[in-house]
Amino acid sequence: MASKINPKFSEELKKYGSVNFNACYNCGTCTAVCSLSTTDNSFPREMVRLSALGLESEIKKSLKPWECYYCGECTSNCPQTANPGELMMSLRRWLTAQYDWTGLSGLLYKSLIATILALSIVAVGVWYFAHSVGYETKTMLHTGHLFEMIAIGTVFLLIFVPNLLRMWYFTVVKNNAKAPIKHYFTALADLFVHMFTQKRSKDCDEKDNFRWMEHFVLVIAYLSLLFTTVFLNWFATESIFIILLGYVESFLVFLITVHFVSGRIQKSKSLNKFSQPSDWLFVIWLLLMGLTAFLVRLFIDLDILETNKWIYIIHLTVLAQWALIIVPFGKWSHFLYRSFAMYFAKINKSL
Amino acid sequence: MNEERKVIKYDALVIGGGIAGGEAALNLANTGYKVLLVEKDRSLGGKMILLSKVFPTLDCSACITTPKVSEIARHQNITIFTESEVSDIVKKSENNFTAQITKKPRYVRVEDCTACQLCEKACPVSVRDEYQFGLIGRKAAFIPFSIANPKAAAIDIENCTLCGACEKVCPTHCIDFTMETEYYELHTKTVILATGFNLFDPLEIPRYGYGQYKNVITSMQMEREIAPTRPFNTILRPGDGKVPDKIAYVLCTGSRDATVGNPICSQICCMYSIKQAQLLMGALPMADVTIYYINIRSFGKGFEEFYQQAKGMGVNFVKGKIGKINEKEDGNLILTYEDINEGVVKEAEHDMVVLSVGAKSNPTNGKMFGQEKLKLDPFNFIAQDDLQGNPSKTNINGVFVAGTASAPMDIPDSILSAGSASSEAISYLIQHQEA
Repeated sequence: MASKINPKFSEELKKYGSVNFNACYNCGTCTAVCSLSTTDNSFPREMVRLSALGLESEIKKSLKPWECYYCGECTSNCPQTANPGELMMSLRRWLTAQYDWTGLSGLLYKSLIATILALSIVAVGVWYFAHSVGYETKTMLHTGHLFEMIAIGTVFLLIFVPNLLRMWYFTVVKNNAKAPIKHYFTALADLFVHMFTQKRSKDCDEKDNFRWMEHFVLVIAYLSLLFTTVFLNWFATESIFIILLGYVESFLVFLITVHFVSGRIQKSKSLNKFSQPSDWLFVIWLLLMGLTAFLVRLFIDLDILETNKWIYIIHLTVLAQWALIIVPFGKWSHFLYRSFAMYFAKINKSL
Repeated sequence: MNEERKVIKYDALVIGGGIAGGEAALNLANTGYKVLLVEKDRSLGGKMILLSKVFPTLDCSACITTPKVSEIARHQNITIFTESEVSDIVKKSENNFTAQITKKPRYVRVEDCTACQLCEKACPVSVRDEYQFGLIGRKAAFIPFSIANPKAAAIDIENCTLCGACEKVCPTHCIDFTMETEYYELHTKTVILATGFNLFDPLEIPRYGYGQYKNVITSMQMEREIAPTRPFNTILRPGDGKVPDKIAYVLCTGSRDATVGNPICSQICCMYSIKQAQLLMGALPMADVTIYYINIRSFGKGFEEFYQQAKGMGVNFVKGKIGKINEKEDGNLILTYEDINEGVVKEAEHDMVVLSVGAKSNPTNGKMFGQEKLKLDPFNFIAQDDLQGNPSKTNINGVFVAGTASAPMDIPDSILSAGSASSEAISYLIQHQEA
């Protein structure tokens, strides 16, 4: 089968955050020390090689970038400091951009200015909306809640469904995998297990499960906070139980993201050494979400929201930027792509 | 320190009594110059005297080294200081260097010792034998190794309990615990640096388990196991004394590896591993020998043929660097690597693993100089200012470098380099003769 080589692929990947991967001299240390790499499924050297050669279509077909959970062993043992871990990270960003039919993911990953511009436009929109309703708390809260529901549905239908179909087309159909329909059902269990537990990342580091635990709690807390605000209408509810639940969830989100942000500042692990704007944006906005949601509810309970409407406007701004930019076109989507990658891998393997 | 320093004068100072330093000293001495050869160890011969055979000719290493070492030792123009270190080399003017020399006491009068080994038998202290790279033990009163030169007993004062047993049995009464460190001030006209290299310490790579798994050894330990003066008289794995039948070589242990600060190629490991593999095929005809490599660098004269010969003999060559080693309960080792030709991770079981350790620079490089500093390269080897035109020259005119002090190299290259350094030194001596 003919393969097309893109000689400029290295330069392209650099924009997605790759570091020095062309230094690789193919010793295979990275693949050998990786605790997720198996005889049937060996990486990351293969990906380094494909990237160095610029074999875009091969990379697009591969699910391997999603099977890496970035423990950093490959990078810390690489004799050429070619940083395979960061390459896998940048390939995940690149793939996210490839899956996205709108092309906006790629634009936002590559251009910080475009990201800031997009965030600003959304912010202006929110403040314009607040102004247009005369800063009336009740209307704002109501519309905010409505916006959340509509945004979730729209983003899911217009962005994620087509993007996941594209991912399926690239990684399953193009791999000539004509899996019987039955497998799509039997593999579903894998999809949900990986989506909600990130089971694989637990195998990533044999000694230390703390990172997995932290991430797990964050995912669960975030998802349930989403559920609590959208479907249980946290800001309007009277139920003590739901109110407390929301407090706990938003507090956990805040707490863990603070730890993640400080990890990225301290750069203690190789995972944290080369943060891209998209990584910063993701954790910081998640942190702000947790913090502002917590404060809004606190202000409601203390009955001072009426005099401190700004907190809700800030929360709504963060929420809108999150829902319209970071979720559909930013790092949030790795939540879906990672678990669907495991799902598709299972389907491919079942043949 | 205000010890009285004896003033001594020589035409040339050669630092390092390995094959390069010895060769340089001989060339100078044969031309009529008075040479002081300073060696920090207890014997001349450096690393070469401890090797088994040399590549690619498979000549006996000791058989080449020992006659040369004897010639050096008996040469009327060469004075040898063993267990001595040089410091504070200062260039006063052309042809005029001073240096301070510290000669540690051996506690044995070398000229009276007959190497009868009675002291060895009497000594109650056992420690690891550094000349057998820890494979066996030795006493605190001991002959360094059977072909050492000077072949005389020495007292390892750090481990000695001062029981006096050796003194009592010594038939020539040559053991003298009253010996003290001697200090010299040397005046010399030229200096040759032949300080050699150090082997990489694989403890720096914990995932290979050296020091933790008993059947993981270094290539220098294997070198001793197959040398004519070998400690076991056969090939054994250290864990349980079993004769191994599946031996693995891990190339590039501590070389071409930026994570241990040594990104350069050591130049010798591919070839010495291939040599050892061939010797093992001879010593253990039933054994499997596998060499795991990144690239085989067989660039020298006769090297590629030597590599092909090893393949022909049945040595397995597998492209892929070993990522990690785990020990099984029976002492066998599981090696994880990526088979680069197939692109998949594999595991292989071996009953003995040899780490082909790389060459690192001698950490004392450059520290012997006062005032004008000796220039080093980024890897702490001695810099060759005019590498293409005059590779023996350092940044200090009148100071020359020989052998692996300047870069990793094999034995023929070391001897060539020593020849070049000595002829540069002779030319320097003649040019700057006092009118």
